[in-house]
Amino acid sequence: MSHQTRLGSSEPRASCLDLWREKNDWLVRQAKVAQDSGLSLRRQQLAQETLEGLRGLLHSVQGLPAVVPVLPLELTVICNFIILRVSLAQGFTEDQAQDIQQGLERVLATQEQLGPRLERGLWELWDSVLRASSLLPELLPVLHLLAGLQAALWLSTDRLGDMALLLQTLNGSQSRASEHLLLLLKTWSPPAEKSDAPLTLQDARGLRDVLLTAFAYRQGLQDLITGSLPRALNSLHEAASGPCPRPVLVQVYTALGTCLRKMGNPQRALLYLVAALKGGSAGGPPLLEASRLYRQLGDTAAELESLELLVEALSVTHSSEAPQLLIEVELLLPQPDPASPLHCGTQSQAKHLLASRCLQTGRAEDAAEHYLDLLALLLDDSEPRFSPPPCPSGPCMPEVFLEAAAALIQAGQAQDALTVCEELLSRTSSLLPKMSWLWEDARKGTREPPQCPLWVSATHLLQGQAWVQLGAQKEAVSEFSWCLELLFRVTPKVKEQGAPSYCEQCCRSDVVLQQLRAAALISRGLEWVASGQDTKALQDFLLSVQMCPGNQDASFHLLQTLRKLDRRDEATALWWRLDAQTKLPQEDTVWSLPLYLQTYLSWIHPPDREALLEEFRTSLLEPCDL
Amino acid sequence: MQLFECPCPGEDPHPGGQIGEVQLSACTPPGGVPGKPEVPGKPEVPRFLPVLCCALPPGSRVPHGHLWGSGGFMLEEALFGLLFGADATLLESPVILCGLPDGQLCCVVLKALVTSKSAPGDLKALVKILHHLEEPVIFIGALRTKHWAEEEVENVHSDCLVALGHRGRTLAIKAGWDESGNLVPELREYSLPGPVLCAACGGGSRMYHSTPSDLCVVDLAHGGTPMDPEEPDGRSGGLPPLLFPASLSICSVVTLSVSSRAPKGSAELLALSAKGRLMTCSLDLNSEVPGPAKMTRADAGQRIKELLSGIGNVSERVSFLKKAVDQRNKALTSLNEAMNVSCALLSSREGPRPVSCTTTIAWSRLELQDVLMATCLLENSSGFSLDQGWTLCIQVLSSPSALDLDSAGSAITYTMPVDQLSPGSRREVILPLGPGENGMLELPVTVSCTLFYNLREVVGGALAPSDSFEDTFLDECLPTVLPEQEGVCLPLGRHTVDMLQCLRFPGLASPRTQAPCPLGATTDPVDTFLETLREPGSEPAGPASLRARYLPPSAASIRVSAELLRAALEEGHSGVSLCCATLQWLLAENAAVDMVRAQALSSIQGVAPDGSDIHLIVREVAVTDLCLAGPLQAVEIQVESSSLADMCRTHHAIIGRMQMMVMAQAAQRSSPPDLRVQYLRQIHANHEMLLQEVQTLRDRLCTEDEASSSATAQRLLQVYGQLRSPSLVLL
Repeated sequence: MSHQTRLGSSEPRASCLDLWREKNDWLVRQAKVAQDSGLSLRRQQLAQETLEGLRGLLHSVQGLPAVVPVLPLELTVICNFIILRVSLAQGFTEDQAQDIQQGLERVLATQEQLGPRLERGLWELWDSVLRASSLLPELLPVLHLLAGLQAALWLSTDRLGDMALLLQTLNGSQSRASEHLLLLLKTWSPPAEKSDAPLTLQDARGLRDVLLTAFAYRQGLQDLITGSLPRALNSLHEAASGPCPRPVLVQVYTALGTCLRKMGNPQRALLYLVAALKGGSAGGPPLLEASRLYRQLGDTAAELESLELLVEALSVTHSSEAPQLLIEVELLLPQPDPASPLHCGTQSQAKHLLASRCLQTGRAEDAAEHYLDLLALLLDDSEPRFSPPPCPSGPCMPEVFLEAAAALIQAGQAQDALTVCEELLSRTSSLLPKMSWLWEDARKGTREPPQCPLWVSATHLLQGQAWVQLGAQKEAVSEFSWCLELLFRVTPKVKEQGAPSYCEQCCRSDVVLQQLRAAALISRGLEWVASGQDTKALQDFLLSVQMCPGNQDASFHLLQTLRKLDRRDEATALWWRLDAQTKLPQEDTVWSLPLYLQTYLSWIHPPDREALLEEFRTSLLEPCDL
Repeated sequence: MQLFECPCPGEDPHPGGQIGEVQLSACTPPGGVPGKPEVPGKPEVPRFLPVLCCALPPGSRVPHGHLWGSGGFMLEEALFGLLFGADATLLESPVILCGLPDGQLCCVVLKALVTSKSAPGDLKALVKILHHLEEPVIFIGALRTKHWAEEEVENVHSDCLVALGHRGRTLAIKAGWDESGNLVPELREYSLPGPVLCAACGGGSRMYHSTPSDLCVVDLAHGGTPMDPEEPDGRSGGLPPLLFPASLSICSVVTLSVSSRAPKGSAELLALSAKGRLMTCSLDLNSEVPGPAKMTRADAGQRIKELLSGIGNVSERVSFLKKAVDQRNKALTSLNEAMNVSCALLSSREGPRPVSCTTTIAWSRLELQDVLMATCLLENSSGFSLDQGWTLCIQVLSSPSALDLDSAGSAITYTMPVDQLSPGSRREVILPLGPGENGMLELPVTVSCTLFYNLREVVGGALAPSDSFEDTFLDECLPTVLPEQEGVCLPLGRHTVDMLQCLRFPGLASPRTQAPCPLGATTDPVDTFLETLREPGSEPAGPASLRARYLPPSAASIRVSAELLRAALEEGHSGVSLCCATLQWLLAENAAVDMVRAQALSSIQGVAPDGSDIHLIVREVAVTDLCLAGPLQAVEIQVESSSLADMCRTHHAIIGRMQMMVMAQAAQRSSPPDLRVQYLRQIHANHEMLLQEVQTLRDRLCTEDEASSSATAQRLLQVYGQLRSPSLVLL
């Protein structure tokens, strides 16, 4: 009824204003309905319709010259439009900056202070608007909301300087001394909206709280990464104490756990991680962090258990809740970064981490089982669920195969290891150089031997070791020979000229090449020793020592063989050298090698080095004493 | 690029099933869009879209037909591994190939994709750039370059990847082995005739591509060119060093598809032309050179179909050209007419003009308000018609307000298209002149009419490109064809509306023209003011008597010699006294002139537009001391009004009429009566003195303070009054 009478009144502007205002309120209520409606498709449609309605309304309002009575409504519509748009798109874009700028220019147009329309930055516009707004007190509540949106935009694009200036002006610029954004955000108190103001999707105070939490969390995370831990702790505490949605709270607690772990407070860290795990469905990051914590504490069982739980947690695709139609803390967080401590990867990455940790800690059976699971997960494409490989952060796919084979050999499942190697070779057979017909060309000496990826050689090496375990000496020796054949064709200088697009760069270093050659030679030598062909063995051990002088294992094997063949002088010379070397601090080069190679080297490690040295010492000293 | 899960039937339709996303660095195409100059400040409309397709490793369990339908293909193992790496091969992952408008050819391993939420990686690191074509990528496809026996074909996958750019640059990639047996990519770039609109590949070694003028087929099979000396024998076939496109004589195909149901040895194309014709073309690929020119004789029906389709193509083109020619002819005709009209108008300086515009003034009542309306009548009495392109422009220019010295007069221009004004016809346009929003009508108002011929509207329409492929060059030359100014402007006439035309006479009793007082029942603020001014105790008096007491009406007078007037007014006013004739002459353009004539009035009481009263009195006087020969017969026109401004406006209007009359009379006769020169001189000297005093008073007015300036203003008013009632007579 009142609507009718307003329509009939003789003032066209007033009725227009009322109509627009009713439309705005109706749209806001519709957005709330959309928010509450459970069906996601329906919800999406409703929200889109509302967005279009707001856009249309904004067009009609801005179609007329700006006048002061309409401005509060116009700015409210702009704010609602931005909020809905950003929450639907899940992020800010350049469009929002333009929307805000247009709103500000309209405010200035009514003040006739627009002056020469030069290129004005957004900050200069804000400055003039806020100065002009002292003349228009009725604009203040909605201007604060718009300023909050501007601050959110600047926060999400990392323009913290502009944000600080804006907040200073909003707070009444006396506090120019205080540059700290957190403090500025805390002291900013937006005026309450009047009860008869047009409806908004989110009020300025709520937005302020969201900004405060998001900024504190961002700051804390950044400090955590750069290593200023006490500051990070402060900021994160601040973030945790504010109103914070559950998924974000889980992240904040996890970050607190990381921070405390790095500061040497494992017990407190554990408390936070437990709190994070209680927090909600996204249990990945706290579990990963817990595994790191247990690893640091040396509790391997607990570490592996948390990793297992992590794999389990990541296998559940938790249906993400539909985001609220508001500016939320999540929207203002930085893009997830693999370097961040909160990055927990995918299920296959977690599985790989678990398997490799098992292998490293000597639980071979578990490792083998986990590796087989991982391969099944990666290769089985019958399952519709998506499971990305550990690339690009982890080792490349061939290395995962090699690690699996190594774990199987370690667990005593040589036959399975052979199958894995065969699978690797057959799947990549088309990529390998064509050996058969090149064989003849290479013998003619006219052509360069083909380049082959290192992991192909490594596959043959592991196959040889598997045959060793199965007791098939002949096959083993032939695999080792084939491996050496390939390895000696690789000339480190020209490695860049090969086919450019393999992922070998991760494993193709000179060190790896050297160690592989030494390992293959030692393995073959050991086989010769086992079959009693000591001269052949001696040859291989000698070569391996020349190949890789730093590898003491080769020297020990050589020493043993020399002693066996009773070549005392050479043995004595070698012993002196070895004795000198063992007195030097051992370089920890082994740990930069790929995991499969580390495992492999542990197999050909001479079991009784100290005893051998001691034995030699006595046998050498005896003649001297005599 | 975002990947979404395709919901399986029976599953919950959940739209948020995003399974991966990746960022492609999209740059603007190099050198802008071809054929269109960059428009600064205007966002360019992207004409090229990215091209997407999916490459599968061999052994993927995807139904074959489904694969081709969705733009995917299976690549041979070696080529797949070479292009996409060992990881993709090991995982047997499909790969998305993407051709961007800036020429980049990128690939993304599908199984490596993750959503940014679940496992954020470096979103750009997942994208590998295979090649840069340096022109917008139009098509990505795969070919089988080796010839296979029919039974094998099902199991053989494509061994060559091709990408086609907009300007015809073509990239073909095959896997090869170098001397040492290493797998190396064999890349070759070709240049095909462009601009390419679309392309398609069948299952074989042929690629079809369409340009605006032709549809071509090229064969990338190695067998086509056996005479390459550098290729060592025994090696599996490389790529041909050159491509020879064969024409199929079909133009402007915008979408092309190779049908998979054609029998072995022939191909069937499905093509959609720019004009919307859907064609099927059957090609016999067994003949040595593909193309309809070498059709086998047995396939006569096919040939006839081909010819018919060619005829269809030609007729399509002809109809387009015909349309363009028609449009240009129409524009030329219109230009010719316009030329004739312009010549006729510009050559007839004297006498009645072939196209004229006359303006008349009348009061009418609109929305409770009296409005002065001007009626402009455009009359075409020439032999040509005014057609499309002509516009009538009417400019209404009001004089600056007397109260506001700074304001310039306002000017409003109305433009109306003249649609088809054939010879002898007329068109009427009615415009409101005022009073405006502030209730003021600033007289005099000048109404000037102009005819405008819009060249751009007529010629531009004919030259505008209507076919996006063929006529882009016209688009560029358009600005040079048209002259700087956009049209021809022909002034038709000018009419000045002064006070005499706007006076209304409510006193002349006639029901038709009786207009109520514009101010209605509201009391005049001046009257109210005078009422309060009245001394207390004195007798109440009506407003009229108060006015008479406090505000004596301003007055001005003009004297004209009777002889002069008689000579000027002799036609049409015989039998009427000179005074009546003069009054009729003054009000000739007023609507009330008929009443004045009927009642033979020599004095009249009128109302100005703002409501103040105007009294015009015409009487005969004798001027004694001017002429030597004795008293001179003269007519005195006296203007009286309570409003000084209205009096001035009326005076100004009368003087204007007099000036025009004297000018006209002076051309005909020149015998002024003998005058007493001495007397004239004295009057002249008096006037000079008065003018001087005006000057000094005005100067003083600028410098003085408020108190003394009112006295000066008072004096100035008196001097103006003296100047306005001169003792001179117009002779």
